[in-house]
Amino acid sequence: MMQSSISDWLTIILRRDLIIAFRRSSTYITPLIFFLIVVTFFPLALGPQESLLSSLAPGVIWIAALLASLLAVETIFSEDFRDGTLDDFFISLEPSFILVFAKVLIHWLITGLPILIASMIAALVLYLPFESFIPMIFSLLLGTSFMSLLGALGAALSLGRSAILSAIIVLPFSIPTLLMGTSVISSSLINQDFSGYLMIMGAMLAIGIPGLCLLTVEALLLNYE
Amino acid sequence: MLPNLKVENLSSVRSEKVIFDNINFEVMPGQNIEIIGSNGSGKTTLLRTILGLINQDKGQILWLDDNDNYNKFRTFDCFYQGHQLGIKNLLTVYENLQLTKNSIGMPQEEIYKLLERVGLSNINDFAANLSVGQRKRIAVARWLLKEFKVYLIDEPFSALDDKATLLIEDLIKELNAKGCSFIITGHRPSNILASRMEI
Repeated sequence: MMQSSISDWLTIILRRDLIIAFRRSSTYITPLIFFLIVVTFFPLALGPQESLLSSLAPGVIWIAALLASLLAVETIFSEDFRDGTLDDFFISLEPSFILVFAKVLIHWLITGLPILIASMIAALVLYLPFESFIPMIFSLLLGTSFMSLLGALGAALSLGRSAILSAIIVLPFSIPTLLMGTSVISSSLINQDFSGYLMIMGAMLAIGIPGLCLLTVEALLLNYE
Repeated sequence: MLPNLKVENLSSVRSEKVIFDNINFEVMPGQNIEIIGSNGSGKTTLLRTILGLINQDKGQILWLDDNDNYNKFRTFDCFYQGHQLGIKNLLTVYENLQLTKNSIGMPQEEIYKLLERVGLSNINDFAANLSVGQRKRIAVARWLLKEFKVYLIDEPFSALDDKATLLIEDLIKELNAKGCSFIITGHRPSNILASRMEI
């Protein structure tokens, strides 16, 4: 039999969890629908004034994306913990934080990526100029990835407890991402340089990948004590 | 021949309650240890402590490495099966066996053979529709994906009919003959050849 490597195991986890996520369609449909509902309610409530909606668009898109990405946070580890699959992560000789990273990546693929795609519809609904589409996509790409990392930590800390607890843990820590994300789109609206904000978001993600994955491993281990 | 695992004076205390105290045993290749105890006696905690999922309070757990030295860390993979069997409800019987770390690189035919061996023919059924006994058979098929030096199995004979019990006994004998050892737990002694200890 072939000697298995960490990359083979990562592939297996990704494949297995994506199959499960697609069979339980609510996992990716609920955040997507929630995001679109929040965004489309603003023009209905405020009226179709182009200037008002486009000035509100950065905040609306980002708040909707942030809340939508938190909807499926609880599911990151809960099922694996309940059915005993999570034990394999810690019994294995492979580094657990890499396996935690795989779970974060899956969460992003089933919530962050659909939100990213739907954000283009949101941008059209809110009259966001085409010039702001690219900055919006880049800010959401970095921001939703960081939110998945934060969400994993919240999910690990609230494992086996109420689902709302993970959102309460995560929301205060998501404020810097929200501020940076909205600043990127707002700056692009007034033709200002937004690269600095994107760099800060990129730096947060670069530190967050190893740092938050390691913290998540420690938080998960607390549940075994 | 050296034991693959030595457990020396192992103790665990949770919330000032002694879960188990001064546990000593050695796991020789091809031999089994059976831990007998009632519900809540600490059998699962003992298995999890041995695997490092729970910190021990006293004593030491020593694992043999390739150079015949004993270490506090493990250098080989063990197989652990807890009360929750690690079965995914939204995967089919076949996928539950195929999408695991230990089946990497294993041809499809071999997975079919393993499922046949444990008496599972409904390979395309979702695990959610299976009985406890059938789910346990999937878990047992996983024992055969790879030969592990030490298997730690929590209550392998619970919720099984006589046929499935015999199947597990045969598989344990077969794996023992290949040098694999089992640490199993249960409420009463089983029919397998093992050193028994009560906690």
